[in-house]
Amino acid sequence: MSAVVGATREVIGLLAAGATGLLVGGLTAGLYFTSLAVAVGLVHHLVTWVTFTYTLHADRIELRRAFIGRSVKNIPLERIRGVDVSTTLLHRLLGLAVVHIDAASGGGDRQDGTLNAVSLAEGVRLRHELLGGAVTLPEETVYARVRPRWYLYAPLSGAYLLTPFALAGSFLGTLYNVGDDLGLINKNRLAHLGDDVLGLPPLLGFLLAGLFALAMPVASVVVFAVVNWDFTLRAVGADGTLVARRGLLTRRTVTLERRRIRGVEVRANPFERLARVVRLGAVVTGLGDASHRGRLLPAAPSGVAWSVAARVLGGPGPALTPHPRSARSRRVLRAVAAPLAATGAAVLLGQLWLAWTCAALALLCVPLGYDRYRQLGHGADGVHVSVRSGTLSRRHAVVEHRAVVGWRLRQSVFQRRLGLATLVVAVGAGEGGYAAIDLAESDAIALAARITPAWVTPFLEHQPADDHAAVPG
Amino acid sequence: MRLRPPAHRVSPRAIALWELEYLIAGLLLAGVAWGAAAWIEASQWPALPESVVDNIWWLPRLALSVAVFGVAAAPLWRYRVHRWEVSSDVVYTRTGWFHRHWLLVPVSRIQTVDAGQGWFERLLGLATLKVTTASHEGSSKVSGLRVEQAAGLAAELARRAHDLRDDAT
Repeated sequence: MSAVVGATREVIGLLAAGATGLLVGGLTAGLYFTSLAVAVGLVHHLVTWVTFTYTLHADRIELRRAFIGRSVKNIPLERIRGVDVSTTLLHRLLGLAVVHIDAASGGGDRQDGTLNAVSLAEGVRLRHELLGGAVTLPEETVYARVRPRWYLYAPLSGAYLLTPFALAGSFLGTLYNVGDDLGLINKNRLAHLGDDVLGLPPLLGFLLAGLFALAMPVASVVVFAVVNWDFTLRAVGADGTLVARRGLLTRRTVTLERRRIRGVEVRANPFERLARVVRLGAVVTGLGDASHRGRLLPAAPSGVAWSVAARVLGGPGPALTPHPRSARSRRVLRAVAAPLAATGAAVLLGQLWLAWTCAALALLCVPLGYDRYRQLGHGADGVHVSVRSGTLSRRHAVVEHRAVVGWRLRQSVFQRRLGLATLVVAVGAGEGGYAAIDLAESDAIALAARITPAWVTPFLEHQPADDHAAVPG
Repeated sequence: MRLRPPAHRVSPRAIALWELEYLIAGLLLAGVAWGAAAWIEASQWPALPESVVDNIWWLPRLALSVAVFGVAAAPLWRYRVHRWEVSSDVVYTRTGWFHRHWLLVPVSRIQTVDAGQGWFERLLGLATLKVTTASHEGSSKVSGLRVEQAAGLAAELARRAHDLRDDAT
């Protein structure tokens, strides 16, 4: 079936190209090239399809490709960390799905496999077989489902706001290409483009700018809704494998095995924080493209997100302890250091207006530094360790003790003078490490010792026996 | 609560190694700064204000003093900081000079161990021990060990990691 979908996609693309060719080069040439290209594309897809087979064995899945180069890829079932079943609009019309197998090989290398077009039922069956098989009638618990109202949170996150620019850019690009093909664009026109645009009445310019400003939040909501349509997070089966499903045009299913999940990460930017909205992700070992595929909830009210987090973690997670006061001056100093240095340089160079700008920027950075301090926090309970930092993108990670693969304690000369240190929790999942910035040095070591006493206590300094020798008398 | 320093120092020959490295890096830095200064003076670049162009020869002087400071202070400082210890189940290292890093890596979480040698290390009979885990933050590197010591440690750690290893993530 892969041939059908691949070829259909090819035909549509080629027809568009061919139509342009027809317009430019006249009937015969366009038709000739188009049909040739379609034929070559069809044959290529047909041969790929005929020569690609997969076999599901008891302990592994075998993907065999025999077109031009021969290759056999064996993925052991125990190495499979997740199976995605996704469908584009075209796939859905034909009742097909793409199955993406995510696996890790022994050395930590990635070993993935993609089955380009199997029937939807076969895709679902494969997912069950590949992820443990035995589950015949899985019981489902819905952890969360987005409400339509939440789509309105889209403008709060920066990325979706830029969608009108991306759309306008691709539109202008297409316009240029088509115009170029039709011979409408020449040097003279390009040279006078600036004059033409500037020559337009200013009212039109204002209107366009206003339209764009209006379009930004609207388009961001639309794109967000299309991507995250009916986002549903379910726990399936006895072991509670997480299944996230989302999307309007391309319906995407991501399956996360419970034993690969090491914790959660809750992110928010300042606007989202004002609206009490956060994004929830899972910390998963060996997951490629973790920021998209580990997503457990898109922008959602923080109360809902944290209750989902608690169900995933199996508990509310440890409470955060703020960091010592001396960390505050350090955060503020570090926030203003760069603009202050720039101010100094500008004064030395006699660029007064630049100096004023930099000084104003430094002033603006003071509250930023204060907020950075306010967001710092760490905590631990019997099962989890929790670390929070960052202002413009605040990250709050909660990971299991057993996920910790090491400790890195960092201390600069300046931190040493203040008795502070940064403790990095090294985790073999997610981003590899979560830093608790500017803890009191003894607290940092106590935190590590509390979570993994066997690794830390042998290296603790013994309290000097003559501790009370300093007592006068 | 404080961490005690790890038990062992690296080989004293490491000072010579770092001395060489800092010398070469310092010469390169000073050379580049000198070249840039000469070029800016000759071209009288209009984008730069006159005050910068007039005082441009401070740039190589600054670079040279940084280099001299690096060569004079860094190797000895690093030798005082760099320490390592391998207990029955943890690799404990302290590295750095201006910024210090203490690293605790349990043997059961180690994925690969290797002992490598660069040019200068070969000249001096030294080696660098690299211990990698599933996280780059939990991966440590001790330079300036004697070759036979580093090789022995690597083999020993790899063997023990293999025995203890579960999934290591």
